[in-house]
Amino acid sequence: MGKSALYVENLEKYFPPATSGWRSLLSPPQVTKLTVSALRGISFDVRQGKVLALVGANGAGKSTLLRILTTLLLPTRGRAEVCGFDVAREPAKVRRHLGYHTGADACLYARLSGRENLVLFAELNNLSPSDASQRIANLTGLLGLGGILDRQVRTLSTGNIHRLGLARALLHQPSVLLLDEPTRSLDPVAAAEFRRFLLQRVVAELGTTVLFASHTLAEVEQLAGRIAVLDKGRMLICGTPSEVKAAAGMETLEGSLEILTSRPADSIS
Amino acid sequence: MSALFLRDFAIARSYRAAFILELSETLFGAAGFFFLSRFVESPQLDRALPAGTSYFSFALVGLAFFDYLSVALRAFDDSLRDARQNGTLEHLLVTQTSLPVILAGSILYPFVLLSLRTAIYLVWGAALFGFPLGQANWLGALLVLAASILAFSGLGVLSASYLLVFKRGSPINWAFLGISSVVGGMMYPVSALPVWLQFVARLIPITYALEGMRAALLNHAAFRELWPSLAALLIFAAILLPVSVATFSWALRRTKITGTLTHF
Repeated sequence: MGKSALYVENLEKYFPPATSGWRSLLSPPQVTKLTVSALRGISFDVRQGKVLALVGANGAGKSTLLRILTTLLLPTRGRAEVCGFDVAREPAKVRRHLGYHTGADACLYARLSGRENLVLFAELNNLSPSDASQRIANLTGLLGLGGILDRQVRTLSTGNIHRLGLARALLHQPSVLLLDEPTRSLDPVAAAEFRRFLLQRVVAELGTTVLFASHTLAEVEQLAGRIAVLDKGRMLICGTPSEVKAAAGMETLEGSLEILTSRPADSIS
Repeated sequence: MSALFLRDFAIARSYRAAFILELSETLFGAAGFFFLSRFVESPQLDRALPAGTSYFSFALVGLAFFDYLSVALRAFDDSLRDARQNGTLEHLLVTQTSLPVILAGSILYPFVLLSLRTAIYLVWGAALFGFPLGQANWLGALLVLAASILAFSGLGVLSASYLLVFKRGSPINWAFLGISSVVGGMMYPVSALPVWLQFVARLIPITYALEGMRAALLNHAAFRELWPSLAALLIFAAILLPVSVATFSWALRRTKITGTLTHF
């Protein structure tokens, strides 16, 4: 049994109700009126070098959970730690151990080349120029970026932009990699290639802990040792794919999710 | 922070034509201004201008250095807005560099570009229209400029704090640019204003920045003569910078609670 790379205990997140127009001017977001629940008492941990998938419908709380772990959001209550550092109290230390990649296309500077983007983010992650060059060279080989590195990002395909995004997340050799729907806009071949890379290189070779959110259940089964099923901010179950299927009494993950999310949360063991 | 400067330079360089046009725009501005200044003559203006100063020189310094206030007020906002819109804000914030440092690094390029434009303004004005470059106290001018940038940056960070919470529009920009352009002495001496507006002028940093800059560039003022302007600017900086950094930290924490950090 290894140490917990990610530890989450009774995590809760509430937002204020959205306001717009004149209401937002007269009454800017009230941090004292946090009434919209996004996460309600989430607890789990992920051991070093393991992969956990977050699944659930839109609005289940997957992205909110990832954003709290990346220190982009503050939790309302509860505790979340990355490599032993509290996300609310030690955000700088947390970021040192964290890589983050989303499936959104526009996440790099389109007018800069791939290399210029990577050099920029390497420097922002406190890598020396020589370390940055070495890491970029390594990742170029690992991710097959050779032919695209010196082209402007705006000229690259979505698949290649994703590979660059993943390279950026891995630049400073993070212990934990957080991925938000990483294959959302990839074609099936690129998505399969991405999953292979993640398993063989990032997890098996580098020993990186991965927490990812996905709607693609085949991907979840292929990549994740454990699955956390979220529904309306609650965690229904966290276990191996077999345990999730057994809890629902179904043979497929898809069927299991349907059953689990239709039951009251308290009735799932 | 050099990485952020290089990023902005590389992006600007990728729009080559716009980059060159922006710099060459300065030439038209200074030339047009010279001819306009020939029509602005009055005994009252002569009395109000510092001794031995032509209206063209007076106004060229005002015009060129007022832009430092504009850039300071807008650069932080632009940097934040661009990062939100191109989707890089989240990824910048997940790096090991803090947001205040990222914002500070993001205004380096606009200030360097503005300094290049200002230099073109002054050299062009001197070469063709008799701007008296030879009599300048350059070191004094640089000190006034540095103190001005510090004071103006406090206002810029305050404006960015507003933008973090409210997403669009900035009453701080609106108020300071509006008031500064009317009473700050950009196009006419502060002494030409009604007494109550002269009092308002003493409450904003641009007045001291332009007075100090004109004294250094046009009147070869010694450091002793520049000290009142420098001291006023440093007092503004000493008050505005900590207040603006505290306000920004509060705004940043608030957006992390409300989940609106990356909204626009």
